[in-house]
Amino acid sequence: MTSGAVIELAGVTKVYGGAGPAGVRALRGINLRFRPGQYVSIEGPSGCGKTTLLNLLGLIDTPTEGEVRWDGVNVADGSERERARFRLRSIGFVFQRFYLLPTLTVRENVELPLRPLLRGRAERRARAVELLESVGLSARAGFYPSQLSGGEEQRVAIARALVNSPALLLADEPTGELDSDNAGKVLDLLEALHRERQTTLIVVTHNPEVARRARRHLTLRDGRVESDVREGETT
Amino acid sequence: MSERERRGGRKPGALPGILAVVAMAAAITLPVVLLSVGGGVSSHEIARLQASGYQIVVSGPGTAGIDLAHQRVGQIAAIPSVGAVSPTLTRPLDLRGPGGRWVPLLAEGIIPSAYYATLGSTASQVFSAPPNLGDPTDMIHYQNGSYAGPVSPDVLVNTTLAQADHLTVGDSVTLAPAANGSGAVTYTVTGTFNVVASLFSTSGNYGIYLPLSNLQVLTGLARTGPGPGGLLDAADSIHVGLTGTASTSPTQIARVVAALHALLPYYGVSTLSQEASQLEGAASILNGFYLVLSSVGLAIGFVFLTLVLVRRVEAERREIGIRRALGLPSRSIAATIVARAVLLGGAGALLGVASGIGTVTVLARVGSAPVQAASRLAVFSPVQLIALGVGALALAGVASAFAVRRALRLPLPEALR
Repeated sequence: MTSGAVIELAGVTKVYGGAGPAGVRALRGINLRFRPGQYVSIEGPSGCGKTTLLNLLGLIDTPTEGEVRWDGVNVADGSERERARFRLRSIGFVFQRFYLLPTLTVRENVELPLRPLLRGRAERRARAVELLESVGLSARAGFYPSQLSGGEEQRVAIARALVNSPALLLADEPTGELDSDNAGKVLDLLEALHRERQTTLIVVTHNPEVARRARRHLTLRDGRVESDVREGETT
Repeated sequence: MSERERRGGRKPGALPGILAVVAMAAAITLPVVLLSVGGGVSSHEIARLQASGYQIVVSGPGTAGIDLAHQRVGQIAAIPSVGAVSPTLTRPLDLRGPGGRWVPLLAEGIIPSAYYATLGSTASQVFSAPPNLGDPTDMIHYQNGSYAGPVSPDVLVNTTLAQADHLTVGDSVTLAPAANGSGAVTYTVTGTFNVVASLFSTSGNYGIYLPLSNLQVLTGLARTGPGPGGLLDAADSIHVGLTGTASTSPTQIARVVAALHALLPYYGVSTLSQEASQLEGAASILNGFYLVLSSVGLAIGFVFLTLVLVRRVEAERREIGIRRALGLPSRSIAATIVARAVLLGGAGALLGVASGIGTVTVLARVGSAPVQAASRLAVFSPVQLIALGVGALALAGVASAFAVRRALRLPLPEALR
């Protein structure tokens, strides 16, 4: 687990489809710095580079140019294995479509990231149940994802994302597939966990309600940061 | 987007996996059948050679290539260490029994006492000592020169033929060298013999024994007279048995072979050890051929399994992407794929072995007579079956390597889309 890290994007550019004229520049020279424990929303029109930015922050993708630094160390230039290990220990993901594994039970889904880290099955199970309790789903531990509602699935996904106590929690449209009632519950939960654990939370969203809860608001346009508003201060 | 797709992508049904198992099973069935039947027949032939009793075979060119068969007995018996000498002649005949139907069969002409002396311990139990065919030396009829003297019109028939044609000892049967019955001679059944699978080939089921001179007369291969040109007295081969320790001594056998070469320079002389060795060599060549032939099927099974595994990776790309995004190590993703491949390959191997054994069992019951006989000789070697299973698992391992490579090279952002 990595806690309290300062995360930076330094001169990050991402080009898809090669560096030639046919290449699509999804991000153009992004420079951002996230302090530990920040709650950040990233907004912008479709195709502006929000998900690409999130993928680069989560080391799911690598920048064409620039660096992704954790406490000053570039973590994006490691091998796939090194980046996977870093993701496992330091980053949690919440996806729009939940992405629970349908063949595993709720508890097994939450346990999944613990498998490489904790050898003891009982220890893994206890940890998973603890997280399920924190999202109010311990009674559903033996259910399969297909037996849950969308809101419940997303809460399981949040439990899975937090089970390794990551320093950074990335959420890509976490309420995009939910009705307003469930969306509110999920946002309450994310906010509560963020406050309780002091995890850096970065949320990509189109939803103004989601963005409103964040303390820092990034807006992207055409692969560039159009605005960066924090606590009433604009940069 | 369907609910299923929303939850993790469309999964292929069980059909591709079942087809992969069936493909592997079919690929394994072929070598199981070929190796078990081929190996069984080879083992049977080698065992037959080893149980035959005699050690050396003299053969002439083509069929009935040896002349002066009766005279050779004395000449060869005079060679030191030689204990028994038996010329034999095998010819196709037709037999008409009490039922009146003509039955094609193989007749073996022998000198009863000489033949019995060359038999091994197992074979000798099949017959009385010597076989009940009148004059044990078969010399009275032969010595007459024209074969016109006292004759023993006796015949031994195998029990299968006797049962099929309701023949019993004392019955009269008619033997003819041609299916139209011309030249037929009436014989008396003087005994029956059991066809022992370890001693006789499938032709044993259609075999009869009669005195050598009788068969020679019946088939026109007798000595035509004492004068010039009357030298036929034909046989196919002469079996030579050695005495005591000479029968197992390579040096003594080589010495007798040399003496036979000197006595019969135009005839082939071979030893059973040579034949067994040649047969083993041929068997191993055939086994290699069977494996090459089988490798075609295995290659198809391998390609099919690889395609199924790769297709499965494609279908599960999102699930694989999620696991990788969560940071699960490559080995855990690879282990899932390898386990699936081993499961499919192992199931295919087990099914293939069972199918191969089942196929041979069915062939032994419902195939044509030669196929049934060959199938009954099948030997299922545990070593070969295990080797085939291990081979199938190895192929599954290689197939899984392609799928693992594919899974680990999926671009993560695309897999998560």
